[in-house]
Amino acid sequence: MTEDKILWTAQYVEGDLNEEERLAFENLLSYDEELKQHLADYYDIHSSLQMELASDSNRNTLVETIKTLNKEHFVAEQPRVVKFNPYLRWVSGVAAVLVLGMLIWEPWRSNLYEEFNAVPQMSVAERGAEKTDLDHAAGLFNEQKYAEAKVVLAKLHATDAQNAMISYYYGVALMETSEVAKGRLLLEELFNGASVYKYDAAYAVAMSYLKEDQKTDCKFWLEKIPKDASHYEQAQNLLKKL
Amino acid sequence: MTKKVHEDQRYLIALLNNEVALVNEIYKKCAGKVKSFVLFNNGNADDAADIFQEALVDIYNQAKYKNLQLTCPFEPFLLLVCKRKWLNELKKRSISPVTKNEDDLLHIGEDTFEQAEALELQKEQASLFLKAFEQLGERCKEIISWSMKGEAQEKVAETLGVTYGYLRKKKSECMASLVKLIDRKND
Repeated sequence: MTEDKILWTAQYVEGDLNEEERLAFENLLSYDEELKQHLADYYDIHSSLQMELASDSNRNTLVETIKTLNKEHFVAEQPRVVKFNPYLRWVSGVAAVLVLGMLIWEPWRSNLYEEFNAVPQMSVAERGAEKTDLDHAAGLFNEQKYAEAKVVLAKLHATDAQNAMISYYYGVALMETSEVAKGRLLLEELFNGASVYKYDAAYAVAMSYLKEDQKTDCKFWLEKIPKDASHYEQAQNLLKKL
Repeated sequence: MTKKVHEDQRYLIALLNNEVALVNEIYKKCAGKVKSFVLFNNGNADDAADIFQEALVDIYNQAKYKNLQLTCPFEPFLLLVCKRKWLNELKKRSISPVTKNEDDLLHIGEDTFEQAEALELQKEQASLFLKAFEQLGERCKEIISWSMKGEAQEKVAETLGVTYGYLRKKKSECMASLVKLIDRKND
């Protein structure tokens, strides 16, 4: 019966009923809730499909307008050109030589780890006024009290091992508190998954090898970070320096 | 209970009628904000332009085909639609966003959230319907897609080389099969 009602509804809307059938449909429609629903669904499906299939010349003109306006309003930022006066030109020349000298000498080279190990900040969306364990862990983590954060994170991880965010920060906290092997294991696992922390995990593992001056392993992990990941540029810069 | 249509409905009408001056006003109000949000979250100016375009076309579509009536102001609505689109895009690229997405949205009214959500849902639904449509037989697909193009149905019948009566009969049969296909998926 339901299927017949569906066909009947289609015939009604498309004008495929004769006068008598049409009146019968409208009569039934006045009290049959199921039929009312079928009619509403029909209009819904019909209009959605029309939205997808119509060759809509108005829409095409609008898209042209949008493309023109996009060019005006979404230009990439141009680097600003600064004009130098002669004195500044001298000073900047000297400065440039100094910078070049520094680049060759590279007094900071020994400390690549400190340069590249941007310790992440754990941000937790606070929903209620109650402070949860997660907020507590985030607070400790962000104050770099890793040993204390680790304890709270371990508890959270034990109850929710699938939570990628907890795994990530727990892994980092482990590595920061000389439980490196355990931390790496956790982060490698995270890397093998498909969470948003995938490449953050790869970068963190690379950092742990950099700290131990194991360059080959560090490179191995850096190379896993793809172009569209947020750590890509840092990873590439570091790869050049290694 | 029907809510009052917001006066910013005029921006939807501007999109429908391609009123360039008013569309430009939309850009002046919102483009900069969308751009900085996208740039701040791992995107570039081109990404921002794509998102903005997609959002405006979506709004046009819903206004034209789904009778979208704006009950909230236009600017926060568009910004929210753009933000949600960009956050979805980031998810696809497996990048975690920098900003907590609700942070700066606290002052936005509930209406705006509802309407932005409805827009997204309807779009998803339309693409599901389209997928079901693709599963129909060739003849049905031909008849439905011709009759959806927007031309007069008499003319469609002529193009397909059938009588107007036959077109109506066939179209209702094909549409009924489509509705049943969609129903079965939802069960």
